[in-house]
Amino acid sequence: MALDLRQNKYADVPWEEKERLFEEVKSDMRFHHALYGCYECGVCVAACPSARFYDFSPRVIAQAVAREDVDLVYTLMNDSIWDCSQCFSCDRCPRHNSPGMLITIMREVAVRNGLETAREALEGYGRIIYKIMSTGTQVSPDMLQPNAFPDWGPHVHHISENLEVWRRALPPETLHTTETGWAVSDKTIIELYLIWHMTGVMDMIEEVDEGLHMILVDVMEERLEEEGYDVSF
Amino acid sequence: MASQDILIIGGGPAGLEAAKGVADLGYKAILVEKRDRLGGTPDEAQYAALTPDLRPADEALKDMIDPVVNHPNVEVHYNTLVTGAEGELGNFTIKAVQLGKEVSFQAGAVLVCTGFQHFDPGRETQKYGYYEHDDVITLVDAEKMLKAHKFVRPSTGEPPKRVCFIQCVGSRDRQIGNEYCSKVCCGIASKQAIEIRQLLPDCKVYIFYIDMRMYGYWENEIYWPAQEKYKVNYIKGIATEIIKKGDRLLVKGEDTTLRRPMEVPMDVVILSVGMEPSSGTREMAKIFGLKQNKYGFIETEGGPLDTVTTNVPGVFAVGACTGPADLEDTVSAAGLAVMKAIAAVRKAEPATA
Repeated sequence: MALDLRQNKYADVPWEEKERLFEEVKSDMRFHHALYGCYECGVCVAACPSARFYDFSPRVIAQAVAREDVDLVYTLMNDSIWDCSQCFSCDRCPRHNSPGMLITIMREVAVRNGLETAREALEGYGRIIYKIMSTGTQVSPDMLQPNAFPDWGPHVHHISENLEVWRRALPPETLHTTETGWAVSDKTIIELYLIWHMTGVMDMIEEVDEGLHMILVDVMEERLEEEGYDVSF
Repeated sequence: MASQDILIIGGGPAGLEAAKGVADLGYKAILVEKRDRLGGTPDEAQYAALTPDLRPADEALKDMIDPVVNHPNVEVHYNTLVTGAEGELGNFTIKAVQLGKEVSFQAGAVLVCTGFQHFDPGRETQKYGYYEHDDVITLVDAEKMLKAHKFVRPSTGEPPKRVCFIQCVGSRDRQIGNEYCSKVCCGIASKQAIEIRQLLPDCKVYIFYIDMRMYGYWENEIYWPAQEKYKVNYIKGIATEIIKKGDRLLVKGEDTTLRRPMEVPMDVVILSVGMEPSSGTREMAKIFGLKQNKYGFIETEGGPLDTVTTNVPGVFAVGACTGPADLEDTVSAAGLAVMKAIAAVRKAEPATA
């Protein structure tokens, strides 16, 4: 959270470096659509699912950025921004701000600049990123098996056994199962690879996880070559 | 002998609008002003630009004054201080002193337009040190500098790098005895913040507030542009103390929304002083026997549905002498008072022939 006073969670850097990172955030083309002004109504926090579970406040993000509080922005970039689930419920802001979009931008800057905290935050997602980026699709709920994801903790066993009950607790019917909405067409996966390459996503992956980057490059280069693309990552 | 003339006390925006209204309706307006010129507080305190449209105050006042002084139905008496009154609706005799000489006027109704005065920051109960620190000033002091298009630190004459406003000084305060909101200070502070940012683009400007109160179009005309276009920083939390640190000021308060105490250096601190009844308003209330509320403002009868009628038939109160008011309120109330005053004198003395 914003005011965590625990020491040595991440390295302090000179003010000029914090300012440079903040300028990079502000120079993002989406920035001016993400932040107008904040009168602290609290709608974003009220709508935010993460705020219920973490000491996390999209309002504090918007405030810190609006006030150009360079130190606080750096603090948030090393911590709070990773508590957001990027659901964009905060987009209902009456001033038309998007704290979620600010966080997207801040995360991208954190990753592009190889912040250690970004690396740590994304560590647990390596396998998911690999899955999505190599196949173009995600783990679907019906793939949950008692022994499939031991690192997700002991409750996975319980959840997988009662998957039907858990599903009914969630309002929308999921169409994402191994039988529906699973297969990704050849055309789509090629386009996805090209998009990730051309938009710099692969460079960002390299910044936080070189091993993962290497594996993905192998998969993608081979496939693209088969399709007649001469792409070098 | 009954009269249908309307006596107007005070030549500020309320009195000017009222005088013009009376005269335009074909009645005689007798406007008495204690100073040697018209324009009232906006003129006396040298307002630079009006809120919310940032129109130059001089220009706007000229547009109010010219039609009054040039109107054949208006009689203006400068340097005239009302000292006594007797009579009743349709037949008042008002005594006054004009440059040491006693004079009197006959009128059918009276409009009290004596306005407000700015809260004296010497009476605040925090520790802002207005009379100790040169660089702690009020909205009124800031307005004078803005009028000269030059905003500097009074202590050095140099342009400041960091300026903050502290809202609600003398308002919303039980310890001072002014529980009311002065209504205009949020808008004026925001307006001045915009002007400072226009003059000094490198200067950071902060507004420390309890609630920002900019109703209606002031929201989109002042508040949002101040934040979005001029990057004025609004911080919810009022300072409690200003101390001198080196050649700067240190402002101690709480940044409530980020949940942390703050001690921030500033070059200039502007106290957003509120409104209190002017001495003229207190004096006229006494002379005419008008009910006053606990703050000394003239009390009008009829709640929100009648903002000008007092407890004395034939005497109406207009604008900031009845409580905090902006120009929109004041000018609207003036029109209402003129209508009610003329209706009253016509009723008191039905037109003959």
